[in-house]
Amino acid sequence: MLEKTGIATREQIEKLLPSPGRRAEGPYAVMECFQKIPCNPCSTSCAFHAILPMDDINDIPSVTPDKCTGCGACAAVCPGLAIFIIDESKGGGTGTVTLPYEFRPLPGIGETVKAVNRAGEVVGDAVVTRVLPGKKTKTPLVTIEVPLSLVHEVRFIRCEAHQEEDPSVADTLREIPAPPQTADIGEQDDEVVICRCEGVTLREIRDLIREGYTTVDEIKRISRAGMGPCQARTCGPLIAAEIARMTGEPLGSVAPSAHRAPVKPLPIEFFLGGDTE
Amino acid sequence: MMYETDLVVIGGGPAGLMAANTAAGAGASVLLLERDRHLGGQLIKQTHKFFGSEKQHASERGIDIAALLGDELKSLEDRVTVWTHATAVGLYDDGVITVDYDGTYRKVRPKRIVAATGASEKFLSFPNNDLPGIYGAGAVQTMMNVYGLRPGKRVLMIGAGNIGLIVSYQLLQAGVSVAAVVEGLPQIGGYAVHASKIRRAGVPILTSHTIVRADGKESVESAVIAEIGSDWKVVRGSEQTIPCDVICISVGLTPLTELLWQAGCEMRYIPALGGYVPARSDRLETTVPGIYVAGDAAGIEEASAAMVEGHLAGLEAALSLGCGGDGCEEERADCLKQLSSLRSGPTAEKIRAGLSCAHGCQTPKRRDEHA
Amino acid sequence: MENRRITDHPILDFSEGEVIPFTFDGKPMEGRSGDTIASALHANGVKVLGYHFKTKRPRGFYCAIGNCSSCLMVVNGQSNVRTCTEPLLPGMKVETQIDRGVPDDV
Repeated sequence: MLEKTGIATREQIEKLLPSPGRRAEGPYAVMECFQKIPCNPCSTSCAFHAILPMDDINDIPSVTPDKCTGCGACAAVCPGLAIFIIDESKGGGTGTVTLPYEFRPLPGIGETVKAVNRAGEVVGDAVVTRVLPGKKTKTPLVTIEVPLSLVHEVRFIRCEAHQEEDPSVADTLREIPAPPQTADIGEQDDEVVICRCEGVTLREIRDLIREGYTTVDEIKRISRAGMGPCQARTCGPLIAAEIARMTGEPLGSVAPSAHRAPVKPLPIEFFLGGDTE
Repeated sequence: MMYETDLVVIGGGPAGLMAANTAAGAGASVLLLERDRHLGGQLIKQTHKFFGSEKQHASERGIDIAALLGDELKSLEDRVTVWTHATAVGLYDDGVITVDYDGTYRKVRPKRIVAATGASEKFLSFPNNDLPGIYGAGAVQTMMNVYGLRPGKRVLMIGAGNIGLIVSYQLLQAGVSVAAVVEGLPQIGGYAVHASKIRRAGVPILTSHTIVRADGKESVESAVIAEIGSDWKVVRGSEQTIPCDVICISVGLTPLTELLWQAGCEMRYIPALGGYVPARSDRLETTVPGIYVAGDAAGIEEASAAMVEGHLAGLEAALSLGCGGDGCEEERADCLKQLSSLRSGPTAEKIRAGLSCAHGCQTPKRRDEHA
Repeated sequence: MENRRITDHPILDFSEGEVIPFTFDGKPMEGRSGDTIASALHANGVKVLGYHFKTKRPRGFYCAIGNCSSCLMVVNGQSNVRTCTEPLLPGMKVETQIDRGVPDDV
């Protein structure tokens, strides 16, 4: 799920939560960091040593809920923006979620915003109760009040001003006209440009390979693909891949074109000036 | 006139800046060549916070790291010369580098070279792939984060590696809508945290999907995407048309190694590292004595690893010239330790496999035996 | 015309640069200090920078960092200028390129 969609599952989230007793006591950090990646600022930023030091920088952060004060220092430095501060202790059927929000405009305190879940869906309204502008980190932390039932769902907000610019993508996808029948790419290869500089199409490259030209250099000399101003930086790997595909040779045994100075075209005039030695 | 110096560093990105800083800090005279008009390489468009640990400036944004490394370079200006708008156009057997320095032809003969030339974006073949409005992911980042321009109104992103996911997020930050991220593999290639942050902002990530074609008269007006089966063929009837004015191609990078080919370095084709890379020792010296490699030119990796490689290559080059003093052994050991820790996790499995093929060459004895 | 300049960004500060006048195929346009030729054209909604000399297909920039050469244009009479990295200067005469380019003193 997470690795296909970017959305963590309920089971993954539930494993992160402290005991019901601790949750009733006050704010706590939830680290939605499920993958071993080389990163440790959360553990080095915690003044209360609530996040275990990492023996291996790839370790998944481990929070000691009894030491965590829910201060949010880790949420402000997390490069993955994966830490949220949850407070279920307020009573009155609501709780707060503090989330990193690096967008403009920043909402104001008291403003009603759309509460959005991990899948980007609006699940209700929320009132902004605190905004830490994050002058130094440039990662503002926005606290919103939501019904208790949503504190483990809501992970993003949408402000009115932002909403106009960014219509729900799901809606646009639904408007899509009937899909055209895809023609085989073989019929369209006149429209596939391999060498942008010299305007060489996939059809020309394929024709040459069929004729028996199976090195990048041969194809370059005949078609000029790779001889333009970019010197095969853009098309070289594509030509090699097409040769490998059509001949069945492994890509590593398709020799790249020869590399000679200069790496970019220069006017003759250039070589006449400057250092003459 | 031939410009003589201890070390030439080719490329002023994360690896090159670290190499220049380290070598100059150890006492070598350094000439840094940067193709662009400003230093920083691709760091200057990285607005997101970096992963890694404090030593690789984790939690700082790439753009701030560029400034930091640039400041360090300035503090070493009595030993470092910087040529910006300077492209190394040739590297010859005798170790001479020819340079287009702001339109003037210059020749440089260094004792050592660190090639930190970076990478270029891979292109993709599909009908109408050359339509205006189809940009590389790096181009979209440059437009937005360097020139302050929205690339368009609605973007279709091709590729769910870290770059595709990060650029999608940056598009949203710039007020551009992202129709979807399309990924050919059955799972997201980039970090899950990057995927989650665009998913909750409403961007669908469509794995096992591909772009079938782009359409538009003078520029992109829509794209057709479709599901692909386990045989890598389009599933008939799964095609859908996505209205969009920009298609962003983020299907990976390939190391820029022309100069290393010219110099006669042994090159190996290692798909896990993005294509042809130079064979080298674990201390980053290629098979041509005195030529070191660092960063994406050595194989596509995260910028944090590029910085440490630059550090190591700069250090090794300086040490081989007899520069450096106490503590260099520890510094080297620390670089190697940082690299192995950055590469120790499951997300770096491919990198580890690739590196095991790239490392382990024997560098012949160098001619000058200066060290 | 759609405004492509970002004015309010959560991380970056894009201050209003100095206005730089130039022409595109004879039409007066304005860029900002810090622009390249291609970025100024993009800000003005210009996507087609040229037509390929062989395929006659429209061309726009692709890499924006001087690698791919898809952005070549005629600038002040000189062909094959990489507009994605060439800084915009006041009064530049920028033109669509439709051929391989001709020497500028012919």
